Amino acid sequence: MADGKLQLVLVTPEKTLLNEPADSLKFPLFDGLIGVYPSRAPMVGRLGFGELVIQSSTGEKSYFIDGGFAQVKGHVISILTNDATTLDGIDTAALKTELAELTEKSTTNDADQEAKNNRINRIQKMLKLAH
Amino acid sequence: MAKARALVKRLKSVKNIRKITRTMELIATARFKKAMDRATEAAAYTKKISEIVADLSQVDLKFSHPLLEQRENPKKVNLLVLTSNRGLCGGYNGGVLRKAVPRLREILDNEEQELEVEVAGKRGIAFLKFQGYEFDRAYTNFEDQPKFSEVESIAQRYIDGYISGEIDRVEVAYTKFESAGKQTAMLETLLPIGDLITDGGDDEEDGRNVDYEFLPSAQEILEEIVPAAFKARLFKCFLDAAVSEQIARMVAMKGATENAGDMIRDLSRKYNRARQSQITSELSEIIGGAAALE
Repeated sequence: MADGKLQLVLVTPEKTLLNEPADSLKFPLFDGLIGVYPSRAPMVGRLGFGELVIQSSTGEKSYFIDGGFAQVKGHVISILTNDATTLDGIDTAALKTELAELTEKSTTNDADQEAKNNRINRIQKMLKLAH
Repeated sequence: MAKARALVKRLKSVKNIRKITRTMELIATARFKKAMDRATEAAAYTKKISEIVADLSQVDLKFSHPLLEQRENPKKVNLLVLTSNRGLCGGYNGGVLRKAVPRLREILDNEEQELEVEVAGKRGIAFLKFQGYEFDRAYTNFEDQPKFSEVESIAQRYIDGYISGEIDRVEVAYTKFESAGKQTAMLETLLPIGDLITDGGDDEEDGRNVDYEFLPSAQEILEEIVPAAFKARLFKCFLDAAVSEQIARMVAMKGATENAGDMIRDLSRKYNRARQSQITSELSEIIGGAAALE
């Protein structure tokens, strides 16, 4: 792009969290981290859960994102995610109690077990990032 | 003095009511603005989803997903009715229930179909209970700012139910927000999803096809995006209902305030007449008494 910048649009179903220029981005796709610089080829990708790191002229910002989609089109990168929280906004105490409850809970079928494992993985990742 | 006293009493109570309705109108206005802002912000997500779907449709891909499947002779129908928790909002709840009840009856009369009714809002719950209809689930946790996480859990249950075949159809009765001046109560079929691309999704700003790289693949993105689109759509219904409720309340309370104003004018005129005629009659009594003494 002419100005060599990405335009990042971070949207959740409730609101548009960010719409600002960025130098580079790092975020989790379904199978691992991806980095995006300006002039990246158009892409649509499925997101995993983890940390979104935004490098911009004002410094570095981090969010925890939980699933969704990323779309790169021209210099605009849109990240659609179910839930995005700043790392400071993570409520570790609440997560820890939830984690404890989840580990206690027994499941009876595969689907429940999978949902439980997914949730546990997410919480552990969030807790790790919060520190 | 009896009549004038009674009028004063009524006048006071009408004035108090006017104060209340006026305040409610102001509150509804403020809430409407907030709800409206939320709805506009949420629209960005729906728009982006539609955009990606439009991009996907350019790829040579068969759109097949369990949620898109039309089922012939739907057996189990799920009807979700969105009403408000509070009253004093004019015809808002009445409008929604007038749409919902005939449909409810239609399904109940049809012996081949099973019905599951879910109601959100105390008003709807009270109405259905009074009418003697049974419902399976009731929610009272949705106020003027519904949360996505709450709606999502409902949506997820529908998705799971639809895929496993427990539900064949999901319908929602709610008030659609069209503009600040127009809201219509309507019945909408959310599952199966009829058309994925909705309002303003594929705005062809540049008109050229972008050659995307799909990670992991277009098919898998589609599998993920269809439920996401459904969730966003259900969420939009809740948001629309919340905005419409505030508008309905605003309009109703504005009317009530105006009516109270009219009543106050009328009553104070009556009071003044009553007072005057009382004074006149007292005077004539005194004059009459004085004349009798002479």
